Amino acid sequence: MSSRLWRVVAVYRVVTLIYAGVQIIRNHNLYAHPLGGYLALLGMTIWTIITVIAYSRPAGRNRWMLAADVVVSAGAIVSTRWIDTAARINHGAPTIPVIWAASAILACAVYGGPWAGMAGAFPVWLGDLIERQAILTESMLDGLVLLLVVGGVGGYVVRLALQAEAAIDLAARHEAAIAERERIARNIHDSVLQVLALVASRGRSIGGEAAELGVLAAEQEAALRSLVSGDRVEPDAETGLMDVRALIEPLADARVTVSCPATAVMMAPAAARALSGATAAAVDNVRKHAGDTARGWVLVEDEGGTVRISVRDDGRGFGSGRLAVAAAAGRLGVSHSIMGRLRQVGGRGTITSRPGEGTEVDLRVPQS
Amino acid sequence: MSRNPDQPVRVLVVDDHPLWRDGAARSLAEAGFVISGTAGNAAQALRVALATRPDVVLLDLNLPDASGAEVTGQLLAALPTVRVLMLSASGERQDVLDAVTAGASGYLLKSAELRELIDGVSATAEGHAVFTPGLAGLVLGEYRRLAQAGGEPQAPVAADTGPTPRLTDRETEILRLVATGLTYPQIAERLTLSPRTVQNHVQNTLSKLQLHNKAQLVRYALERGVE
Repeated sequence: MSSRLWRVVAVYRVVTLIYAGVQIIRNHNLYAHPLGGYLALLGMTIWTIITVIAYSRPAGRNRWMLAADVVVSAGAIVSTRWIDTAARINHGAPTIPVIWAASAILACAVYGGPWAGMAGAFPVWLGDLIERQAILTESMLDGLVLLLVVGGVGGYVVRLALQAEAAIDLAARHEAAIAERERIARNIHDSVLQVLALVASRGRSIGGEAAELGVLAAEQEAALRSLVSGDRVEPDAETGLMDVRALIEPLADARVTVSCPATAVMMAPAAARALSGATAAAVDNVRKHAGDTARGWVLVEDEGGTVRISVRDDGRGFGSGRLAVAAAAGRLGVSHSIMGRLRQVGGRGTITSRPGEGTEVDLRVPQS
Repeated sequence: MSRNPDQPVRVLVVDDHPLWRDGAARSLAEAGFVISGTAGNAAQALRVALATRPDVVLLDLNLPDASGAEVTGQLLAALPTVRVLMLSASGERQDVLDAVTAGASGYLLKSAELRELIDGVSATAEGHAVFTPGLAGLVLGEYRRLAQAGGEPQAPVAADTGPTPRLTDRETEILRLVATGLTYPQIAERLTLSPRTVQNHVQNTLSKLQLHNKAQLVRYALERGVE
């Protein structure tokens, strides 16, 4: 960024040199010393080459170079007194370098910010003052203000640009650091999952205490896996819908498997919460009542307009009358927590079971 | 079916975790498989596969140098008769689905019991699809996604790729049962079909997706002017 700004100064200097050259060639027969005009143009050209080369390298961007730049610019202005006629100068003819002189002020601004820019503007203005041989007339004060504005505003803009660049750079670094951290986390999760899976399967095949370790490892493996796959829980800002998979996945553990589509299953948040609440109640039932060795499976399907969740276990099951008996006895668990939730959002559900053949819960809720 | 059924199944184990790779290779060797080789990354896997021509490649989904779908595609391009059984620890859904549509014959989680792994490799060698409940859920979801995308008018009508693949009612029913944890014999019993028929239905659901994927790739290549 900084070297790009120095390039801007160089371009400004060359363009304004051409402008000054055109003015000198056009007006040379009006000058008191036409040859002096060409000599000044030669000097300005040489100085332009020197500064463009010097400022292109960081080592050349120093106080001495800038001081010399300001003095040469002021000198070029003062030379007008000798080259041009007094009559033309007094009638407000442009100086020999015209706006080329401002390039030194810009260089100061790029080098040191607004104060340096204004400091560079002052000697150039003094050159102007000498050239006009005027005391502090109103137009000379206007000139001073203009030069100070060039130095001050130029320096300020340069500061802002450099700060903005630094801020962008910092943000990019932060982003890269976060991405790298996430990548490392994914790798670590993968490695940890590998080891847990290995401990679980080896432990089970060895038996005894190792099998107990294996069970613990399997539990942690399932917990970590559902954590890693974590989809976004927050509703989408645009549609207000949320991905119901994010609410269902945490139900998975070593005994309960959750199967979902690869793409998001979007629902109105109230519907999603009711459906996941009912599913959680069904899964809870598997854990509590299906038996210690029973396993459970949860399937999430997007049927287009309706979201369907099936919960099945291979546990002990129950006879058809038992739910009704439980409800009558005041234990409203299943029918209240599952069916009640669904009805609130226009959904419905069925529970089927036979003794010894597990239980199947089928839940359907409209997407919005 | 180039494999002689009397010969032991030759397996290439590809995994970047040496602990897992060696453990799986040892367990499979103990179970009577011949380990044709092992590899720790995709490039090595391709080289070893070409040199040793295994029947089954047991492939980790998360290799450091290529995605599971890429490796599967490359392996099948180099050895069209090889069968790929995917394994992963984290079960990243889209990765699993991509690998399976790219031609993998099945998928297991690394937390699967040793028995499941051995059965899975045997079934893969025989040309069967190895499904977890999770994979069945993914495949069901993918068919729904394709049906919904195909129903929209702005979706390109795939004249040269054939119609959007659809599941038959029977296939949907069977996939749903797989996704809720039933084994093929249990499904066969429940639907009064032969286990062989159940297996064929499941296999079909994968083949249709893989065919569709291939046609999509060809169409994409033609559209881009690739000869």
